[in-house]
Order: sequence, then structure tokens, then C-alpha cells
Amino acid sequence: MTGTTLGVLIVLVCTVLEGIAQVFLKLSAMSAARAKDLGAAWVRRYGWIALGVAFYLVEIGLYTIALRILTVSAAFAVSSLSFVTVTVFAAWMLHERVTRVRWLGIGLILGGVTLIVAYA
Amino acid sequence: MFRQALRWRLAAGLFLAVALDTATQTLWKIGAADIASDVSLWQTLDVLANRTIFQVVGVLMLVKLVNWLKLLEVADLSYAKPVTSLSYVTVALASVLVLGERMRWQQVAGIAVVVAGVWLISRTSPADHDAPQAAPDAAAP
Repeated sequence: MTGTTLGVLIVLVCTVLEGIAQVFLKLSAMSAARAKDLGAAWVRRYGWIALGVAFYLVEIGLYTIALRILTVSAAFAVSSLSFVTVTVFAAWMLHERVTRVRWLGIGLILGGVTLIVAYA
Repeated sequence: MFRQALRWRLAAGLFLAVALDTATQTLWKIGAADIASDVSLWQTLDVLANRTIFQVVGVLMLVKLVNWLKLLEVADLSYAKPVTSLSYVTVALASVLVLGERMRWQQVAGIAVVVAGVWLISRTSPADHDAPQAAPDAAAP
């Protein structure tokens, strides 16, 4: 495996971690909105936040390693795939309704971000 | 029904998210420019912990997290997250205006494409429970 392939794989893992971390943060917000038993809701809310932040910390560590292998623009371009992973995890784990228009918008964003960072 | 007050809260939250992201990224770029490229990871972490500019970045990140959690109380994750991609546009613009970097025409085209994508997403319903009121698009199969 070449260094570049390893770097891209690490950034891809980061996008998956980003998707999971965001789901945890959304679960935290949802438990706050539905709070009835304040004590239990507090534990749930901050538990989800702690999990989300823990995933972020792992992601930051891995991304730092990837930046030592890849150029910043290459890493940035690959990491924009997190818009896709976050949406896939939101649809799968949170059962959010993702419409065709929303997917089309995400596709355009991916293309646009790639253009911005590729020529930076 | 997605009430008017919630729409304002959503708009303010998204604006703040993009603004905070822009400020964080721009300050990070300014601070990182002063770090030599040949220092070790531990030396980099030491610089991050001790320089005022990175402490400000840390505070901004904390405010970003709080704002993001409030935002997710009123919007779907699959709506809010892509909209915050506008920070790629504002960071690119800030790089030109604040840092004096130059922008190529391909980047200008990229900005237009990102804005088009965000505009499309803004036409969808911000949250599932709002679907009957403000979802002009068809559900994916």
C-alpha cells in the first residue's frame, strides 16, 4: 500500500467517524427536546455529547496523521465526503427523510468544495 | 408546523455556525502560518496550547459546539450539516480579503456550485416534522 493510499484511507475513516459523532450530537439534541425526567435526560444528553466529542478527538488525531502523508488540499477534498457520510448515517440511524433534491444539493456541494480546495 | 420563531432560530443558528467556522478557520490559518513545518507533533501541540490565538480558536470551537447543539434541536442533521458547507465559501473569501491570498477562476466556479447546492437544500424541509408544510420536493424511493 502506498503512502497516498494509506492517507486517503485514513481520511475516509475520519469521514465515517464524523458521521457517527454527528449522530451522537443529534441524539443529544433530541433527548434535550424530549426531556421529561430531567435527571435521566441530563445523563443521556451529556452522555451523547461526551461520546460525540470522544469520536471527534479520535478523528482529529487520525486527521493529523493523514496530513503528514497527504497535501492539505487533497485531505480537504477527500474529507468533504463527510457531507455524504453524515447524511447516510442520519438517514440510516436517525431515520431522517433525505429527499432527491437534498441529495442533489449534497452532490453539488461535493463538486464545488472539490473545485475550491483542489485549486487552493 | 415549523413556526416562524423556529425559522428565525434556525436561520440565526446557521448564520452563527458559518460565521464561527469562518472565524475559527481564518484564525487557525493565521496562527499555523507562524509554526515551522519541521517541528514535531508534540512541539505543535505545545504551541497550540500556549499561543493566545489558538486559545481564542479553542473558545470559538466551544461556542460552535453549543450553537450546533441548539441548532440540531430545530433542524435535521442531513439539512444543517450540508448548509454549513457555506463556510468553505466564506473561508475562501476571508482568505482573499484578510490574508491577501489570490483566488483562481476554478475556485470562483466552485463557490457558485456550493451556493447552488446549499440553495437546493434550503428548498427542502428543515426538519421531518415540518414535511407537510414546507417540503416542495418528492421523497427519494
